[in-house]
Amino acid sequence: MKTLRKIFSEEIAFVFSCPALLWECIFLYLPLLVLALYSCFEFSAQTNSWVFTLHYYRQVFHSLYFRVILNSLKLAFTATLICFTIAYPVAYFLAIKVQKRFRTFLLFSLILPSWTSLVVQIYAWFFLLEQDGLVSRTLHWIGLIPKSMHLLNNYFSIMVGLVSCFLPFMILPIYVILDKMDPRLLEASADLGADKIETFKRIIFPLSLPGVYTGFLLVFVPVFGEFAIPSLLGGSTYVVWGSLIVDKFLRARDWPFGSALAIIGIMLFVLIILSCVAIRNLVKRLRGVN
Amino acid sequence: MKSIRFENVSKSFDGELILDRLNLEIPAGRFFALLGPSGCGKTTVLRILAGLDAVDSGKIFLGDQDVTNQPIYTRSINTVFQQYALFPHLTVFENVAYSMRVKGIKEDEVKERVYEVLKMARLFGHESKYPRSLSGGQQQRVALARAIVNRPEVLLLDEPLAALDLKLKEEMLLEMIDLQYKLKTTFVYVTHDQFEALTVADKMAIMNTNGGIEQIGTPKQIYEFPASRFVANFVGNTNIIEGKLGQSEQGQVVEVDGLGLFSVYVTPEKSAINSSSSVYMSIRPEKIFISKKERSEFSNHLQGTVVDIIYYGRSTQYNVKLKNGLRLMVFEQNEEHFPQESIDYDDNVHLYFQKENIVLLEC
Repeated sequence: MKTLRKIFSEEIAFVFSCPALLWECIFLYLPLLVLALYSCFEFSAQTNSWVFTLHYYRQVFHSLYFRVILNSLKLAFTATLICFTIAYPVAYFLAIKVQKRFRTFLLFSLILPSWTSLVVQIYAWFFLLEQDGLVSRTLHWIGLIPKSMHLLNNYFSIMVGLVSCFLPFMILPIYVILDKMDPRLLEASADLGADKIETFKRIIFPLSLPGVYTGFLLVFVPVFGEFAIPSLLGGSTYVVWGSLIVDKFLRARDWPFGSALAIIGIMLFVLIILSCVAIRNLVKRLRGVN
Repeated sequence: MKSIRFENVSKSFDGELILDRLNLEIPAGRFFALLGPSGCGKTTVLRILAGLDAVDSGKIFLGDQDVTNQPIYTRSINTVFQQYALFPHLTVFENVAYSMRVKGIKEDEVKERVYEVLKMARLFGHESKYPRSLSGGQQQRVALARAIVNRPEVLLLDEPLAALDLKLKEEMLLEMIDLQYKLKTTFVYVTHDQFEALTVADKMAIMNTNGGIEQIGTPKQIYEFPASRFVANFVGNTNIIEGKLGQSEQGQVVEVDGLGLFSVYVTPEKSAINSSSSVYMSIRPEKIFISKKERSEFSNHLQGTVVDIIYYGRSTQYNVKLKNGLRLMVFEQNEEHFPQESIDYDDNVHLYFQKENIVLLEC
């Protein structure tokens, strides 16, 4: 009886997840497959058929393009790290120090900007950072810079854009986990002789790690693929993976090469995630032995 | 092991006075229980002692040392928390080692002492498990091990067994008594459960709903000689009969409306009660003898009708309605499979009790 019910509930679950699965297959896996096929098959006019080739992959690895992918990874990683450095204290402050009645308001004002379109946010920065923009004028007025400066089209402006747009996605998961933390654990830690710093090091931070992991994924993934911010705020100074692919597909019309770029990026990305998981499991196993 | 002294400690939360100039002395090296109804402020006493809450006024001494303003992490006091508060991301070993690692004690010594305590707490072999994979009783033992590993002067236990079932509770109580005997640490056990308090305590204090101490004494003193109506009612079951103290040719008596005279024995410490003032008589239900037959060897005798019979297994409770409408509770041990007389609903019964078993309480 019990097993019958279990089977039944599993079937129900399957039925209900079908639309989502179908959607994913048609709009995610199928296009990915097409992309993969595009990247390794070539239409040969001589034989009038599709021929397997690794030519485009070789091209990616043997060119500056691979450096672009690595640079994009570095950019995404740096932006994620900066996000984390800013987000953790903010989340900590919100979850532990701020009184409950102010929290909703503060959280709301943090999330509000991400409800507006990304492009609008980028253009807002555009006006703030341009030659006679608010930022350079203020800096000049304070006396930090001799004359108003053009702050756009460099690494700094890209970073400002990336961090400001993706910061909420780092703050929220960390906030949620810190907010849920059992205050009795902190009391127990203090009771056992740990001061505030030790308690943070040994209890609060390790327990908030799942939130940090989530935040890293939520920021790292989209930033790695981001092309609007780097191209709008960075001008032509900084080519990233995303904009390279857009360029190959839309301007150069070199679809096979664009596909190979995309596939390699995704593979690198999956590799990074997998090795992170592997490292985490390894650490867990080592600690378990103790 | 050190003694603890509260001197005029007051504490309020959100404008509500929880403790009002509390004075309390807890002897060193003993198992002390603080018993009181829910919400009476006993947990506040514990939290203040641990250093989790600050006092509004007053002083706390640990031995001769004033620890009132000493931060929590420097006090040689450890706590077993109500829901254990085990660190979920640390193994049993790491949980127990926590206080020593924080102190920076060498790993060799940490290992040695952790294993020593784990053995004592019968947790050997569980050291690399995480708290969530342990049973309630095991988690309780980890909490205990974690709190004693650093050899504190005082161990505080905040309703430590509230989450366990009765059998396990009884087992753990005995283990804790053993542990206290071995360690000679001052144990302060806070509970609302009189059974737990009576079981473990060498000495106990009863707190009333206003956060005041009603009585301090050994469990036997508290149970047999309650100092107030509150204590008599709160610890165990009792019958309270109100009357007027007086004299007759048989000695001292209490006159009760509609029931006549009761012979009583006034203990020396109760001799201050004025003659002809109103008093409460407290008689424990197990000290009343119930029978359908006439007996003569008892100093007090009542008659009534059985209205309730509650069978508990080892004993049976009879609620007997007296002729003035008062109901008395009587416990009878079920000593035999086939009792000589069986008492049923609506039976007329005699109730007997000795005058020495009546506790006189001032109104």
